[in-house]
Formats: sequence, C-alpha cells, structure tokens
Amino acid sequence: MKETDSMVNSEPGAHIEEWLHSCIRCGTCKYQFLEYEASCPSGEHFGFETYFASGRIWLARGLQTNQIQWDDSLLQSIFACTTCGACEVQCHAPHRGHIIDIIEDLRRIAVENVGALEAHEKFRNYVEEYHNPYKAEHHSRELVQEHNLPETAENVLFVGCTSNYRETQIRDATISVLKKAGVDFTIVDEFCCGSPLLRTGQNKSVNELMQHNADAIRSSGAKQVITSCAGCFRTLSKDYSELGLKLDVEFIHSSEMFRDLIRAGNLRVISSASDLNITYHDPCHLGRHMGVYEIPREVLSQLPVSVIEMKKNRDNAWCCGAGGGAKSAYEEMAISTGKARVQQAMETGAQKIVSACPFCTRNLRDAAGSDEIDVIDLAELVDELTVGRKPLSQSP
Amino acid sequence: MEIKQRLMKIVGPERVADGAAEKHVYSYDMTENPSLPPSLVVMPQTLEEVQQIVQAANTTKTPLIPFVTGQSVGGLTIPAVEGAVIVDLKRMNRIIEVDEEAMYVLVEPGVTFGHLKKYLDDHHPTLRYTYPLAPPYTSVLANALLEGLCDLSTRHGAMADFINGLEAVLPTGEVVRVGTGASGEGNWFSRYPLPDLVGLFAGWQGMTGIVTKMALQLWPKMPFNRHVGLLCFGEEPTIRMLTRIARTQVLDDSVCVSTPLVKMVSGVAAPVELYDGEPDYGMLLTVSGNTETEVSEKINVIRRIVNEERETDSRHVLISWEGLMKLMGDQWGPFVDLPSEMYKVLAEHDGLTWVGTYIHPKYWKTVLEEGRAIVEKYGFELIANLKAMKGMHFGEFKFIFRFPKDDDTVKRVRECNAELLDLALSYGAIPYKTPVWAAKKLQERLDPNFVMLMRRVQRALDPNGIMNPGRWGLDERD
Ligand SMILES: Cc1cc2nc3c(=O)[nH]c(=O)nc-3n(C[C@H](O)[C@H](O)[C@H](O)COP(=O)(O)OP(=O)(O)OC[C@H]3O[C@@H](n4cnc5c(N)ncnc54)[C@H](O)[C@@H]3O)c2cc1C
Ligand code: SF4
Ligand code: SF4
Repeated sequence: MKETDSMVNSEPGAHIEEWLHSCIRCGTCKYQFLEYEASCPSGEHFGFETYFASGRIWLARGLQTNQIQWDDSLLQSIFACTTCGACEVQCHAPHRGHIIDIIEDLRRIAVENVGALEAHEKFRNYVEEYHNPYKAEHHSRELVQEHNLPETAENVLFVGCTSNYRETQIRDATISVLKKAGVDFTIVDEFCCGSPLLRTGQNKSVNELMQHNADAIRSSGAKQVITSCAGCFRTLSKDYSELGLKLDVEFIHSSEMFRDLIRAGNLRVISSASDLNITYHDPCHLGRHMGVYEIPREVLSQLPVSVIEMKKNRDNAWCCGAGGGAKSAYEEMAISTGKARVQQAMETGAQKIVSACPFCTRNLRDAAGSDEIDVIDLAELVDELTVGRKPLSQSP
Repeated sequence: MEIKQRLMKIVGPERVADGAAEKHVYSYDMTENPSLPPSLVVMPQTLEEVQQIVQAANTTKTPLIPFVTGQSVGGLTIPAVEGAVIVDLKRMNRIIEVDEEAMYVLVEPGVTFGHLKKYLDDHHPTLRYTYPLAPPYTSVLANALLEGLCDLSTRHGAMADFINGLEAVLPTGEVVRVGTGASGEGNWFSRYPLPDLVGLFAGWQGMTGIVTKMALQLWPKMPFNRHVGLLCFGEEPTIRMLTRIARTQVLDDSVCVSTPLVKMVSGVAAPVELYDGEPDYGMLLTVSGNTETEVSEKINVIRRIVNEERETDSRHVLISWEGLMKLMGDQWGPFVDLPSEMYKVLAEHDGLTWVGTYIHPKYWKTVLEEGRAIVEKYGFELIANLKAMKGMHFGEFKFIFRFPKDDDTVKRVRECNAELLDLALSYGAIPYKTPVWAAKKLQERLDPNFVMLMRRVQRALDPNGIMNPGRWGLDERD
C-alpha cells in the first residue's frame, strides 16, 4: 500500500442525510420525460410505489429518521433495483444526480443492519476466496503466458471477471484487437474490481481489492488501463477515486481505444460492403453512469454495418436488467427487463444487438433465448471486421 | 379467510404487498398531514378485479382507499383509519377510446396527463385536453374527480365540468355507468339530459366507489396561440385587472402568482424573496384563435384594459411573449406548454402543501391581502396562486408552501395553513381537495342539512362504510 493512498470510505448514510428532505414523490422518474415510456425497470416489474426511486428515497428517509425500524421485508424494495440510473435522468429535483448514491447508501446500511441478501453474500464470499464472483479458478497471469505478453507495458488490459470467466469471447476478441493493432499492453494479476460489492452495499472488502489492483497496475508501469467491461470502467475510474485512490493512470473503456486505433490506421476496417443491420445497446454503467454514449457509436460508424437506433437510446436507454446485483438475486426481474430490451431491439429490424459490457451481453442473450436476434459485444464486432496495419494479403 | 388471502386469490400474490416498505411508503404524502400506515396494498388490473376486491372488502368490512399516484396535495390517499387497504390503480392505464366527432376521451384511472398529451399529439393532433401545473404523471381521472383546475379552467371551469360520464364500482360491488355512456358503448357524448349522477362521485375523494372509466371532454386545438405576461403592483389593481380581463371572455387561461414564483421559474435559488420596487404579482395570460387576427384582437382587448389601469399606476406592464422570454429566460418557452418541467420549482424539498379554495370574486382581493400578511408573519416564501375560473364566475385562491419536512417546519406549516383556511372560510371560500382537518373546519360553516345530505348519500351508497372512511370528516356515525 502506498502512503499516498488514503482509504476514504464515506460514512454510510452520508448521502441520505445530505438529501434527507428531497423527493416529493412526483413520479417523474417513472417515465421518460413527456414520452410516457417506462423508464424504471424495477418499478415496471413490480409496480408498487416502493419499487421506484421515490419509494427507496422515502424508505431511506424513514429509516434515517427512525420512523420505521429495520425488518427483512424492507430488503426486497432496497435491492430489487438495477441501479441503472434512469431515474436520475428523468428527475428534475435538486437531488437528481444523487439517487444512486442514496440507494447505494441505503444498501450499505441494510447490510450493516440486516445483512446482505443470500445471493449477494455468496458472491462476496467467492470474491474474497477466489478474487472473482463466479467461484472460478483465478488465472489472470496465465493469459500473459498464453498470449506472450510483456511484464511491463504502456497499457494494461483490465479484463474483468465476467469477460474472464463467463463471456470469454469478449476477452479473446479484445486481446485479438489489441494485438493486431500492435498495442503495447499486458494483463496484470487482477482481482475483481469490487463493482458487484459496491453496488450491493458490501463495501467492506473493496478497499483490499482496490489496493491489490492498484499495486498490480503500478507494477506494470502502465500509463493507461483499458477495460471492455462497463462495470469495471465505472468502478476503476469513478469509485476508486471517490474511495481516495490516487493512481497516476488514465482509465479508458475499450471502445475509446478501438475508435482511436481505427482513426490512426492501426486497425483497418474490412472494406467489403456488409448488409449487417445492428442496433446498439447503451450499458447503464458506460452511458448514464459515465456519460459515454457517442464513442461506441463512432466505432460502429467506422465499421461496414448499418446502425439502427432503438427508440430508447443514450440516456433514455432501457436497462438490460442485470446490474446492481439484480441478476443474481432477482433473476425474474432481470430477465423480464432484458426481454423488454430485446423486444425493442427486434422492433428495429436489426440482426444483432451490440453492447459494450459483458454483463449486458450475457443478460440480453439469456433474455433473447431463441429469439431471432444475436447479442454480441462491440469487441467481437470490431475483431471480426478489422485487420491490423499490414495489407490484407500479408495479415496472419 | 383473511382479506390478504382473498385479495391474493383475486389478483395473484405478486400484486398484493404488505411489507414494512409498502406500509411506510403508502402511509403519507408530500403534505404536512399526519401519516397512518395501510394494512396492505393491492394492485388490480381489470374492472372485474376491482369489483371482486370491493366485494371481498364488504365481506371483511375492510376500508379501501383508491390510489393512483398519491399527489393530491391534500393527504387524500393517507389512510384516515387503521387497517385500510390501498387500491393502487396505476396499472389500469388504458386510453380506451377517443371520439373525434363528439370530442371526448375515455380513460382508465392510471392514465396520466403525460400519457394523454403524448397520445393525443401522436394520434389526434387536432384535439387537446387540459393540463395542470402538476408533474406530468398524475392521474387525469383523479384530477377531474377532485374538481381541480387546469389550463382551460379560466374558460371552462373546474375539472369536474369536463366529465361527460363515468363507470364505477359502487361500494356494494355493482358496476354502474352514469352519463350518456349508460346507453351503450361509444356514446359518452354528455352527462345531460339525464339526472346528473356524476355528482355522486365527483368531489367525494373516493368515498362513493371506485371509478374505473371516465369520459372527458376534449377541445379543438386552436391553430394560433399566444401568451402575454402582465406584471402588476398591489393586490387591488392586480385583482381588478385579472377580473376585468377574464370577464371579457378572451382568455383560455390565466395564472396569477406572486413574483417570487416567477423568479423561481426563472432560476432564482431558494429561498426566494420579494424586494422593494419589484412588482408584487406576475400573470401569464393565454389566448387562442382560428386566425392570427383573432388572436391579435384578443391581445388588444387585454392591452386596452391594462392601458386604462396604467393611467392610475404606470408601473403595471404588459409584456409580449418575446419580451417575456428575454426577461425571464428561454426556458419559459417549453415551460408554458403543459405538462412541462414548470412543476419542478415546487419540488425543491420533500414537503409541498396548500389550502386551495374557490372563492366569490368580491372577496378575492381582501383574502389575498390578508393571506399575504399571514404568510409573511410565518416567514414563508410568498407564493400566491390565483386563477380566474369559468369566465370569472369565481376565482381560485391559494398560497403554496414548499418546505423541508423537519418537525419544526411541519408544525409552522400546519399553523399557517390553518390560519389561511380560517381566513378563506370567513370569506365564504370553499376548499378543494380537503384534508380531513380542513373538511372538519368547513363542516362547521356549512348548513347542517347539507352535511346531513352528504352523510345520507354516502351511507346509502356504502352501508358498510368501506370506501375511504373518514374522508370529508364524515366518520362520526350518529
Ligand atoms: C406540484 C404539483 C402541482 C399540482 N398542480 C395542480 C394543478 O395545477 N391543478 C390541479 O388540479 N391539480 C394539481 N395538482 C394535483 C394533481 O394534479 C392531482 O392531485 C392529481 O391529478 C390527482 O391524481 P393523483 O394521481 O395524485 O390521485 P391520488 O392522489 O392517487 O388520488 C386522489 C383522490 O382521488 C381518489 N381517487 C383516485 N382514483 C380514484 C378512482 N379511480 N375512483 C375513486 N376515487 C379515486 C383517491 O382516493 C384520493 O381521494 C398538483 C400536484 C402537484 C404535486
Ligand atoms: S426521485 Fe425525483 S422524480 Fe422521482 S419522485 Fe422523487 S423528486 Fe420526483
Ligand atoms: S436505478 Fe433504475 S431500477 Fe433503480 S430506481 Fe432508478 S430507474 Fe429504477
């Protein structure tokens, strides 16, 4: 641990206290403003006022002011939320940018008072034991040998657990793209970034994970950390700095790297015209949480595909359903939310849904089931439709 | 069988909730009115489910409270008795029919203003409904039942006047229709010349049944519209100008507010004060017409009145739409196209309240002057809100409070609202969307036989006293 790393972990309840007297339950966060399109996946699924942002804010206030006492029955409303942030886009009240902070604060206090949900506790234990929430054999460094990567490099590819242990095609495609573009990169001995824990109120072990990752990144000598996981991207670049980590590197999402590599000519787009119609799904953690909407679209615009936007896009995008611990604890809500998104995608006539987050890809594919639409990640599409700098005939 | 089991059988277990979270969240609203938790919440989706819920509640004598979004600003969905079941109607949200010829829309309770506006703009662009200053997602049907006021009320009156007819589940479980729709489908063109039984439901705050459909009047969307602003000084000239202008019948809508509200909309941060030399009131007046000339002539009518008033006090100023945008900021453009973001100035804190009243025009000025003194005494932001109603047959009068719901402020708000209500009642004003405490004060001033008649109607319709019991202060059984 470096002396410069001050481990700030704001007191649970600080956000609730700051916004104690906000939210009149005007309901504006329920719908896309003036469009009357549902906006809150959890409220849409369960229907009761308790499952919209306002219900959670009112609960937070009730608990903070001792109007209600802790009780197991509160947990469902507190945790059955994908933390998608759509409510923050629709709300017009002064606390609009802090609703997720309030919900996550409420979750931390819930964990302290009643304990985590069983499903969440399970993955926390796995993270602690296996350094990933999937109980998979930890193996990041083996990738270094497998792909013949250097010990130190300008860039670190932070693979992320879902890519590394579940959606491995995303990991492989990302590595393939970086290699063929000649990017100087390596992979470090990464632990889970901590996102699943932070999103589910289990903040305690996050400092340790963060410190391990910080040390690993430092020892690589990298100036830049690339990740193709929207959740990791948010956690590395936003949560770590809020937790007080000072790391002299830049965190970027892989879409930014892809865009720049294509622009610089390090990646050349296969020029053959394609009649592939795709639609782009904005991951909540990349879009609403980090404000990255256009970069993935710029990548897509450089590829030989036609992009047809879904009606709900960018900051009004409908969530895939998986975030905030919903996939593990509220599978039915996660799938019904994902199905709604798949339906929106199918209405565009696209053959593929392209996302930029392994977690979205996974849940949307689960939701699509046997529907006539593929779900892939941007990295896979880029890998498929580009070659390296060398002329086509000479490429390996 | 317990009521919970009965309800779960009717709607399925996933649409019945009785956790601590639901009991808390449905136990209060944004007002200062005291909270009381319901025993559970049920969410029907069809008329048949509503009917079965009412029948089950009769068997167990369980109080039922219809709820759509809980934004009456009158505490009307807060249970007034223990053990109540909230009937959350938000999932009954179909726009069933728009009749272009007879110009009406048939809606279910869950349809909100935002929903309706979007639907009409997309599918029936020549027709319009009328919209409140409320957030976009409040119930159109509940708003009409509550006799509120929207942006055609200066022309057409309180919202219940827009009702052509309705379908309701009576407290005893029968489904009834009133208005011409009682004669068959697709025929909701009027509530007359039948006995006007809409009155059995409008203004009753959910005590006489659950309304499951309502036919509401739409109006042609005029091709030309214009807004003008009027800044004025002093209560007497303000009311005189508003009254004179409204009586010319050129207005679609009139909103007259204390200047601090104008400043809030223009982005001034809370708490907003009124400084010496600033106009006391700002009005937004809306006119429409079939031609630009018609609109211009209507504006000339307004201008003539203002010019006459300016001979006594030249500080009153009529401002064109363009001038208004320059003065107040571009955000005013989309704001005045209701429902809009405009409501957000009232969403500053978790508390919002008012005692809204309708009043005889002759007392409007006095009540405004004396009300202002009360609000100033309590040190709250000055947010008077007035509307000329139904071509100036009557006026709307209220002071709005946006406030943090800490104990001290809630106490002050209660005292101030009580004083304002006493004042209004002393001038014969009648409060709308009355919380129980206000209804009780009102009852003291009403002819006892009127109260007796209300009780008799309510008991005839609801022998088991299950529908929103305690509302209107009609709880005492004598
Ligand atoms: C910031 C703000 C500004 C507002 N401005 C205005 C305004 O300018 N003009 C105006 O008129 N209103 C205004 N309102 C109030 C709001 O528009 C109305 O309260 C709303 O339309 C009623 O709908 P609701 O969903 O809140 O009803 P709820 O609060 O859910 O219900 C209101 C009452 O109606 C009863 N009820 C509901 N549904 C039924 C049913 N189906 N059958 C029988 N009884 C039923 C309930 O039991 C309750 O007594 C404002 C509110 C806010 C928060
Ligand atoms: S969170 Fe914002 S939009 Fe939602 S009810 Fe509260 S104030 Fe309204
Ligand atoms: S974060 Fe998403 S799911 Fe959670 S309350 Fe907000 S809109 Fe609903």
